[in-house]
Parts: sequence; structure tokens; C-alpha cells
Amino acid sequence: MNGALLRSLLVVSLAAAALLGQTRDQRTSPVGMRAYIEQLVLPGAEVVVGKVDHADPVAVRIVKVWPHGSIFRYDLEWTGLEPGSHDLKDYLTHKDGSSNDDLPSIVVQVKPTLAMTTTEPTEPEPVPAPRLAGYRTQQIVFGVLWVTGLLLILFVGRKRRVKLAPPVAKPTLADRLRPLVEAVAADKADTAAKAELERMLVSFWRLRLDLRHEKAVAALAAIRQHPEAGALLRQVELWLHAPEPPRDFDLGKLLEPYRAVTADSLQPIAKEATS
Amino acid sequence: MTAPTAPASSRFTETRDFLQQIKDRVGLVVVGQDVVVERILIALLTSGHLLLQGVPGLAKTLLVAAISKTVDLAFARIQFTIDLLPSDILGSEILDQKTHEFRTHKGPVFTNLLLADEINRAAPKVQSALLEAMQERRVTIGNNNYALPVPFLVIATQNPVEQAGTFELPEAQLDRFMLLHRLEYLTNAEEIEVLRRNTKLGVRREGKGAVARTEFDTIGDKPIGSLDNLSKAMEDVQNVHVSEAFLEHVVAIVDRTRKHPKLELGCSPRAGISLVKASRARALIHGRDYVLPEDLFALADDVILHRIRLTYEAMAEGLTSQQVLQEILSEFDA
Repeated sequence: MNGALLRSLLVVSLAAAALLGQTRDQRTSPVGMRAYIEQLVLPGAEVVVGKVDHADPVAVRIVKVWPHGSIFRYDLEWTGLEPGSHDLKDYLTHKDGSSNDDLPSIVVQVKPTLAMTTTEPTEPEPVPAPRLAGYRTQQIVFGVLWVTGLLLILFVGRKRRVKLAPPVAKPTLADRLRPLVEAVAADKADTAAKAELERMLVSFWRLRLDLRHEKAVAALAAIRQHPEAGALLRQVELWLHAPEPPRDFDLGKLLEPYRAVTADSLQPIAKEATS
Repeated sequence: MTAPTAPASSRFTETRDFLQQIKDRVGLVVVGQDVVVERILIALLTSGHLLLQGVPGLAKTLLVAAISKTVDLAFARIQFTIDLLPSDILGSEILDQKTHEFRTHKGPVFTNLLLADEINRAAPKVQSALLEAMQERRVTIGNNNYALPVPFLVIATQNPVEQAGTFELPEAQLDRFMLLHRLEYLTNAEEIEVLRRNTKLGVRREGKGAVARTEFDTIGDKPIGSLDNLSKAMEDVQNVHVSEAFLEHVVAIVDRTRKHPKLELGCSPRAGISLVKASRARALIHGRDYVLPEDLFALADDVILHRIRLTYEAMAEGLTSQQVLQEILSEFDA
């Protein structure tokens, strides 16, 4: 029993050793697939991979190195990037910098995965790259344009400011009253002017008796109570509003005191004088 | 210079006495409302309508009742409420069960003096019905058109407080009222007189019971004048002289309300007409046969205030229509 088991284990071990002991020597490979050349003995000094260029049709890597007497034995890994025949020797160099002329050719074949008749992809149209810089410049330009526009709005096309004439002082009640009195006295006033004269006389006495803050009806009643103003107002009312104005009074004489009124005449008179 | 005196208006002596008697009679019943009495007489003499604004309890109803009895006028009172219908005022057609025909039932608007109490409590439809009747002095019930009795005067009242649930009269409808008078509380002396009179009212016996007498019981039943007297007074108002200068004053004031920067809505031409009409009546009541600026000043508040509307900015400044009107009247010369 034990003998049979031992024999089986021996057979398995030998098979495994045989499998493990197999070396790979792959000299042909499709594009892009890794391939291995193992236990390759190369003469001369130790070999390394030379300067790598991205344009190389083959990429080579030395996986392991063993001394092999005075020379060395190598496991190489290579990948073909372009179809065709390539010599791996071209990509190896001696570690000590000496020429690799002594090395044998290691020719590999790289097979294309697509048929050679396959149509090549259309070369893309060149697209201009987006502008990635110049933001600050752009902002400065926009800023300058904005300020320019603002200045144009503010100052271009505007009418030049005309220097205003000093405001004309509003004529006082006295200034307006005098010509009306003259016109009425000269019998040259129309109805509107006569009515205006009555309104002005009311306002005149309202100021004189300091009744500005009284209600209009109360102020008029107070004016009518005043000896001088009341008498005047009643006569003017008769003259203007009565259906048959009395003819026994002289209008010119009545209005005589108002021919020379000035702004000072509008000042309120003393309280005692109003009684 | 000899100062002329105002000529006594002998033309209107009879009317003046009649109006004075009305004022005296009403004065026996109502205390301290001379201005309101004058305004009611102005409305009565000019066929205008009057809106009284004041809190309850200022003897509005008593006043109108007293005047109606004094001049022998038919008087009706409607309390406006939200559920009032136009037919409640104007009347309606009723199917007579006996004759199977429609019979017209005339509403309380068919009277001489109509007191529309708290007019702003009724719906706009009802207000419009009354205001149309006021304007046209005719009402249509069913297919028939009926003229209202003459004279026809509406005295409406509004309560300035308790505005919730009321329908404010728009300016266009307010314009139909010739006068809007704002009633004020009595002075202390007048109120004491009211109380003094009230203490002497006593009790009225009715059958076996008794009821406390009110001021309404003191209104004399015997009128002091008739409709003829009133008609004569109305004719006399039309004979009161209005000078051209007075018209200038009226137009100047009305125009200023239209141009005043604080006013959004100025006076309508109807305001000017009302000012002249009311001034004529006031002049007659005051024994004059011509109008004066004092009539204008005295009536300006009642004729103009409800016809003008302040701008939003003026309201925001806290101004009132009264202040703006006083400013206009104060700068009478401008």
C-alpha cells in the first residue's frame, strides 16, 4: 500500500518537475501579446535593455539573469507592437557599455491580428484646442470696454448744461395788488380782475390781522369784524356782488390806501390795533 | 366817504320769515344743530340731497322728522342693512289674489323727505337704486315709470366709525349728494340744555299704560307752513342774484382743486353748480338777495370735501382733504 502511494507521488513529482523544467522559446507572437524566450545564453558581458524609445516596434524586458560560466543566461520577455520581423539584439546592450556586435541575432516575428487589407480608420479632422489661458487678459479687456462704455454714456451726446438764470423772485401780494387797484380805479378792469382784487384784499387783511392759521370762513368773519377791513370788505362786496351796486361811494377813494401798499404793509398789525 | 350799507332785502321778507320760523320751531326740539338745520334747508330749497356723516345719537332722525312736520312734508325712514333689496326701497308689483292682477306697491321712496339711515351698510346694488332715484326723481316698477313726489329730498347718514361690513360710497355716487355735512358733538352748554329738556319730558299715558315721552313727542303737529310756502321759497332762491365776480371765485376754487399737486381727483363741474346753488339758498336764509364770498367759504367744506381725493403721497404724508381745502381757500388770491 505504502509502496504504491510512494510510486504515485514519485510519478506526480517527476511530471511536475518535467512541466516546471520546460523552458519557453516563443519567437512568434501576435501584436500586443507578451512572449517569452527563456534560458537564453548570450556571450560576453552581462546584457541589459538599451534605451527605450516609445517609437520602438518591440518592447523587451529582461526577467531574470543567471551566471553561466563566464557568461550569462537570460529569461527575456518581449511584446511586439508592430507586425513584422524584428531583432531583439537591437534592443539589448552590454552592461559595461561595450558593443553588442558579439551578440547573436534574436529574430522574432510579430503577427498582425487584423488582416492586412483592413481599412485604416479615417484620420480625424484636426479640432482646434479650446482656449485654456488668457482669462485675466480677457477680464482686463472687458473691464476697459465697460468703463469706456460708461464714460460714453455719461459724457457723449449729452446736452451741455445751460447755466440757469437766477430764479425770479415771486411777486408779493403787494406787487400784484397795486396794478389791480390802479386798473380798477381807472375803470379798466374786467370782471376777472375785479374778482381777483376782492380775493387779494381778503388775503391782504388776512395777513395784516395775522389770521393765516384760521380757517378761511373764520378768518373772513374776523376780517368783517375789523373796523377798517370790515368796512372795506362790505363796500367791495356791495360793489361787486349786489344786484344794484350803490352809486353813492367813490371807489377810487375807497381803494386809495392800497395804491401804495408795499411788502411791509403785509406785516401783521399790533393786536391792540385790530380791536 | 360814506360807507354804504347792505340794502335790506325786502323782496324776500315773507320767505325769510318762513325760513326763520322753521329754524325756530326745529330749535325747540333739537338743540345746537343750527348749521345742520341750515344745510337741510339749503338742500330742501335747491332740490339737492344731503349726506350727514356723524356718530349715532346726534339727533339726525329727530331733526329730519321735526323739519318734515314743520313744513308739512311726508317723511319716511329706511334703515339700510346688508340684506336690503332695491324693491324694499322702490316698491314692487304684487299679485292680487282677489283680482289675479298685478298691483303696484310703492316703496318708501315715494315721500318728500327720505331719511336713508346708514346708507353705506347696504349693498352697492341698493345704493345705486336709491342714487338713481335721487338723480332722475323717477323710479321704474315693473313696466311702469313713476315720478317721485315733489319736493323730494334724500337725507342719508353715514357712520364714520364701525366701517367693517360696509360698502363705502364711491366718488361718483358721493358726487350726487350736493352736500356732505360732518356732524360734530354738541358743546357742553348745548348738551346740558339737551339733558335739561329731557328731564322735563315726563310720561305719556296710553290707555291704561304709560310710556316715557321722547323728544319726538315734543314735535308740534301743526305745520307752520305748507308746500306752497316751500315752493315760493324755492322760487325765491332762484331769484337770488349771483354776480359775475362770484362765479369767478367759484371757478377759481374749483380749478385749484383740479390743479393742486396733492389732489388726485378735483371737483367736478357739478361741484361748481352745487356751490352756486347752495350759496344762493344760504344767502336767502341769511336775508340777502345776493351771494357773497362768505357763502362760498361757509359751504366749501360741505360741497367740496367729498368730491376731492388726495394723492397716495399726500395720504402717506398724513395730510387730510380738509387741510388741502383750507390751503386752497387760504391762498384765495393765488
